[in-house]
Amino acid sequence: MAISKDLKGAFDATTIAAAGLSASRYRLDVGAANLANMETPGYKRRDVFQTAVSMPAQGSFSSILDRNTLSKPMVYAVLEDDSPARMEYRPNHPQADEKGYVALPNINIVETMTDMMSASRLYQANATALQEARSMAGEARKILTMV
Amino acid sequence: MRILDSMFNHTVSGLTKALDLSWRRNKVLTSNIANAETPQYRAVDLQFGRELEEAFHTKNAQQLARTQSSHLDLTRNSSAKIVEDLAGATKADGNNVDIDIQMAQLAKTSGEFATAAQLIKRQIGLVRTAIRESRQ
Repeated sequence: MAISKDLKGAFDATTIAAAGLSASRYRLDVGAANLANMETPGYKRRDVFQTAVSMPAQGSFSSILDRNTLSKPMVYAVLEDDSPARMEYRPNHPQADEKGYVALPNINIVETMTDMMSASRLYQANATALQEARSMAGEARKILTMV
Repeated sequence: MRILDSMFNHTVSGLTKALDLSWRRNKVLTSNIANAETPQYRAVDLQFGRELEEAFHTKNAQQLARTQSSHLDLTRNSSAKIVEDLAGATKADGNNVDIDIQMAQLAKTSGEFATAAQLIKRQIGLVRTAIRESRQ
């Protein structure tokens, strides 16, 4: 009946939440790399770009007609920032140019920290959604033990 | 057998529908949460319409037979549909997911699912009791 049909959907909520976990962890990783390399001459800030990938319609009449579908997030590009480097005067630095300037990446520490905080909050939200889906599947399984 | 009939035609089928709908709504909300910071993503929600109410009151309607696998499955056709959710404000990147509203809805939906599952277990328990008592 409807329950066996639903269990196929179990994987959908899990897949979507997993994609959310993956995308937010990606943003955390890149943010951490940017922060760690704030003082590395020649490093360029990396920006994460993500988009929503729609789930294909699933064979039933109404879902094919439906324009609004579910979607999962996907990181499609991590690009290097191409704005001019932050030139800092450090004549003693071994990587300084002939005028004594070092090319440092354009990283705003406040912006990066805020972005990482929101990514980590989103990671937690996705983990909760995953747990919720699992506990619902557990409730459905408990019905089976009654039969 | 009147009792069993009414139990399984109305209560259990209605509860099964409640499980189905809250499961699907949970999926929709998970999609919103996962995309809470995806630029241009628009929040969606599952609108039940009268589907849940009808499941408790009507008997199974006449169904069209599927004689080929390429036929669309009309038994899975339902009036519940995914609609745009306008609860949150649109941010600068075109995204309108309000993560707190979505988390609250998720908690509510999973609670509804657990309630319906418990009720089905109780209904099955009633039938078991009836079977056990008649053996004594």
